[in-house]
Amino acid sequence: MAKSPKAIFWLLFAAGGTVTAFVLPVMILVTGLAPAAGLFSDALSYETMNAFVGNWLVKIILFGILSLAAWHAAHRLRVVAHDFGIRADTFVAQLAYFMAGIATVLALIALLAV
Amino acid sequence: MSRNPYVRKMSKTTWFLTHGRYRSYILHELSSFFVAIYTGILIMGLLRLGSGPEEWAGWLEGVTSPAGIVFHLLAFAFAIIHTVSWFKVVPQAMRIQRGEDFVPGQLLVRAHYGVLAGVSVVVLILAGIA
Repeated sequence: MAKSPKAIFWLLFAAGGTVTAFVLPVMILVTGLAPAAGLFSDALSYETMNAFVGNWLVKIILFGILSLAAWHAAHRLRVVAHDFGIRADTFVAQLAYFMAGIATVLALIALLAV
Repeated sequence: MSRNPYVRKMSKTTWFLTHGRYRSYILHELSSFFVAIYTGILIMGLLRLGSGPEEWAGWLEGVTSPAGIVFHLLAFAFAIIHTVSWFKVVPQAMRIQRGEDFVPGQLLVRAHYGVLAGVSVVVLILAGIA
């Protein structure tokens, strides 16, 4: 059977889609909308966030969420580009997966630095 | 090859506006744009968290700016669209056989919403309300 890297990208897409489906609504609520609404200001203070992200379990979970979300979005944006009439799929795919790779590395660096 | 092949008249760039089914398809596909930007914003936040209190305050300022609020409102709406459309295909994507029969698809969908509620409550408790 011919080997294709397609399966890997699809697996990351599917895993990321599942993880984001469960966690993204509440995460956007807490980190995106709550600050403007004045909610959770204690939890989002520098001291609390620093201690929270300093926990190794939290680091591992956040790395999983962020990297899978990036690979999920990259694969889907590749398809969206095709849907919008862009036919340079090889270039689009390389760009999308490159960006997801960058996001993965940056997430790792950021989490290790906290 | 037919001499006069049928070519369906369909725009390459606006085809998804022509049918309700296509519109709902492109809506949940476009959620990926917001997932990507939100992920980027969060990674930026973590990078700035590691650089000290002033940097973190600067990130929070961006989130609470008018543009930040508009983006996160849209991102929240598209996250819901993503979740609902993702759970909708669970019966097709997840076939669990129990003895002779398959576990009913709607039961699996309800289980997913149950887990979603559980995860959301845990995150809200961690954030300090609920």
